[in-house]
Amino acid sequence: MSKGPVMVSAEETAKNKAFMEQMAASGTERYIRRHSKQARWTHGITIIACILLCISGLFVFVPALAAAVGADTVFAIRMSHRVLGVIFVLVPLISAIMAPKGVKHIFKNLFDRWDSDDKKWMMLFFPYLFMAKWIHMPDQREVKSGQRFADGMLWFSGALMGITGVFLLLGTTLFDFGGGVYGVMLFLHDIGFLLIAVFGLAHIFLGAGIFQPYRGTAKLMFGDGTVSESDALYHWGHWARQEIASGENVIEKKA
Amino acid sequence: MSDKAILFDTSRCSACRGCQVACKCWNDLPSTLEKNGNPPTGSYQSPMDLNGDTRILISFNEEAGGSKGVKWAFGRRSCQHCTDAACATICPAGAITKHEATGLVTVDDSKCIGCQYCSTACPFDVPRYQEGLRTTVNKCTGCVDRIEQGLEPACVTTCQPDALVFGDRDEMIALAHERADFLKARGYEDAVVYGEDEMGGLHVIQVLKYGVAAHGQVENPQANPVVGLTQIMKPVTGAVTGLTVAGLAAMFVLGIGYKRDKLAYNPETEDTISVDTGQVVKHGDGQDEETVMEHITENLPGKKGGN
Repeated sequence: MSKGPVMVSAEETAKNKAFMEQMAASGTERYIRRHSKQARWTHGITIIACILLCISGLFVFVPALAAAVGADTVFAIRMSHRVLGVIFVLVPLISAIMAPKGVKHIFKNLFDRWDSDDKKWMMLFFPYLFMAKWIHMPDQREVKSGQRFADGMLWFSGALMGITGVFLLLGTTLFDFGGGVYGVMLFLHDIGFLLIAVFGLAHIFLGAGIFQPYRGTAKLMFGDGTVSESDALYHWGHWARQEIASGENVIEKKA
Repeated sequence: MSDKAILFDTSRCSACRGCQVACKCWNDLPSTLEKNGNPPTGSYQSPMDLNGDTRILISFNEEAGGSKGVKWAFGRRSCQHCTDAACATICPAGAITKHEATGLVTVDDSKCIGCQYCSTACPFDVPRYQEGLRTTVNKCTGCVDRIEQGLEPACVTTCQPDALVFGDRDEMIALAHERADFLKARGYEDAVVYGEDEMGGLHVIQVLKYGVAAHGQVENPQANPVVGLTQIMKPVTGAVTGLTVAGLAAMFVLGIGYKRDKLAYNPETEDTISVDTGQVVKHGDGQDEETVMEHITENLPGKKGGN
């Protein structure tokens, strides 16, 4: 849902009409570059590892599943969990080392100031999820306020899973941290799993475009990393206008 | 069959370690054949601690004092077969279970997935793992296989000075108190019965001649609190994840039929335009001025001005 019409002067209306005609005649549509190839690959590898880690972890977390498939299979799954865990930890770390500016950019956005639109967006988010047909949301900068919170929780829970996972791996192979430390790590790993399950599912629901207003957003990370002008204006209005005005990251594709 | 227990009377133990040998023989557990394969312990105790091939160990502790000038405090390091067995609670594979007929905590290593959670949970630091790529738990099973055939546990059968006795748990507790009272009457004031109430009641009842600490036992053992927390996390995670999926499904259903206008931005006029209607939907890039309630209600069906 977009906001209702705004009255503008006749001169502006004429300019807009000419602009629209020019756009239509060009046979192209504008797109904004949003995610680099490295970011997309890092995201892709990490989430595949994350999903497989969740599935393999379930065979230890849920006793009925372990009993259903047998100890030998669970052992093999546990070993695969360790390999996947190493991928889950190392790939983002290597990527971060390769692109420190990108990491800085991500965390700058995560901890960016919350303006009036951000606060309002957050307050409207839950009503919007159930009433998207009727509620138009305030414009957002590069990362929505709710996205900052949800992404932040994913970063946090991912880091929690990674760190506790390393402790659990080393605690059963190279070191003996003692039952107390191992137990706390195990509990924190369970907490991380809960957070990953909730925020990961929500992230997939929105990011993969299962939620109707977010249709097409999957292309951002699994396509060429660009977002159409229309979708950018809908999701990140302030950012889109800034990018279109600067033209730096704008490309044109055939309509 | 009522709950069973092994009674270990330290005052009768000669530390011959026949129980260690009998356990290894019955359970086909090897000992190192390497010369000095077990590191020296400074006493006759061997090996240093329980390991993947050693389920029971007689510990040696010598302390100054007592009527003879020295206290020979032998201890039994092995599974205590707790009533509230944290290892069985936390085991995700059902490899460690309570034997219903006897109350002993037994192991089916064919079900073990090698997670080592039981080691975390045990307040007595008992479960050990056999070495190899696929590590499996190894701990005292209480010889339930023998008990089911009318035999006593291997360690009990072999004990020459009758320091180990097997029978109904109630009877073993009564016998233990009798022995402790006897020892106290003989001047061993620290003699105590161990295992009656610890961890909900142990199925190894001990008469500790020189007190709990001298025989290497744990004062007031408590299960790692993490055991309870991890058990809470399973239903909580299931419930919260289920609610999340249900919520997302509801959002999807309510979103069916959603559509919105295609938008374009004219930087020259700073107007955001609906491509479908040609109308300007926003001028400039200022902050939103409507209230949250206006956002929610302005486009509801039947409201004037909705689009």
